[in-house]
Amino acid sequence: MKSFYKVATLTVVMAVLAASALAQEKTPATAALANLAEGQATIASSGNPSWDGLSEFVLIPGASLMGASSTTTALYLGFTGGSEADIGNMVLYEVPRNGSTVIKVTKVELGGTQSPSIVLTNTSTCPVQPVSVTNPCIVRLDTVKLALSPLYDYYFTIYFTLDTNNEQIKGVGQTALPGALSGWYLYGDQTRIGVKGALPTNENSDQPPFFLAYVTNE
Amino acid sequence: MKSIFKFATLTVILTIMMFALSAYGFSAAKPENLERGVVGPVASNGSWSGYSVLALVPGAGLIPVTSTQTVFYLGFAAGSQADISNMVLYATPRGSSTITAVTPLTLGGVSNPTIDLASSTVCPVVEISAFNPCIVRLDPTKITLSALSDYYLVVYFTADDSNNSSIGVTYPSFSQTSLRGTYQSGDDTQLTVGKSIPLAITSFTNAPYLLMYVMTD
Repeated sequence: MKSFYKVATLTVVMAVLAASALAQEKTPATAALANLAEGQATIASSGNPSWDGLSEFVLIPGASLMGASSTTTALYLGFTGGSEADIGNMVLYEVPRNGSTVIKVTKVELGGTQSPSIVLTNTSTCPVQPVSVTNPCIVRLDTVKLALSPLYDYYFTIYFTLDTNNEQIKGVGQTALPGALSGWYLYGDQTRIGVKGALPTNENSDQPPFFLAYVTNE
Repeated sequence: MKSIFKFATLTVILTIMMFALSAYGFSAAKPENLERGVVGPVASNGSWSGYSVLALVPGAGLIPVTSTQTVFYLGFAAGSQADISNMVLYATPRGSSTITAVTPLTLGGVSNPTIDLASSTVCPVVEISAFNPCIVRLDPTKITLSALSDYYLVVYFTADDSNNSSIGVTYPSFSQTSLRGTYQSGDDTQLTVGKSIPLAITSFTNAPYLLMYVMTD
């Protein structure tokens, strides 16, 4: 009977050890910063409209994802002008590849809020002042707990509140080398489209986005 | 003593199972892009009876994702049935037009499939359109794409075929893809090793017709 308990204990110990070892193997190593899609290679400032009351859609195509494995996504906004950006809302829409019907809507936040005000004259936000095309301010949004899949397309959508601050802000577009990203803008808050809703038609073709500069894993 | 053997056996089985599960977990790779595929909205380009679609998959555009197989996805945006006479993949040295390998491409095990675009099992959203394109996944090809080669996917649509006269294949509205393409009348799928791709590489300036994605699975 003693042998019985010994072997039973051994069995349990081995199983626990094996499970523990496997669990450790599955823990990802400290991830290096990696692009999930090719970001904007150059910075510009031309073509910016007055952003008060406008929403920008930026397509992150699943077909352009580069295979970096990640369970999170970090989006970076680029500013080349203005003193304060007042954001009404930010979301990430998921749609079928090359489709426009929303499958999922994920909140995008900065500092824990979907409607942040970004003070571009603050050196803790934008270290090099004043913000300009030669000294762009790149703002990293909160990491989104979402693994981008090559089987879907994603539209990052940002709405700029109808106020005077937003009349002055400028994004990094329209660059000559937009990478895999493209965007267009529409009047009004376009961040409230629900699941099964349809995204508006992109009538601006494959123009570079104005604000979304990079899409990385962290 | 019997108990000892029972538990010893159980221990071994448990360990093997856990390692097997572990190996499965690590090898069950999710689909990844091998090239930057077609992005954004697509348009429909019609009337393909008797035409060959040629799509260039440039070695220079390969994303460094390890894979022992390649899966091609075709897009249709109009029609009810596509009748394909043959599908092949030519390999050439990078930038060269001399064919070094010919690999048959299949769908459902055949190189001359008939694709029922009106079937909801083939195209979940019927009726297909530019807004609801039908993406057809070909059988995985046991080929590892190399950055040292270029690849040409060629699909020949059966001639004198009323179905093919009314189909529309996808054509990207955006040009942001690594894939390039063109087309011409006649069957370009019968070329052999040593022959040349029938069109100069400079003809492949447009985004591709038909070919949407090149993936690992």
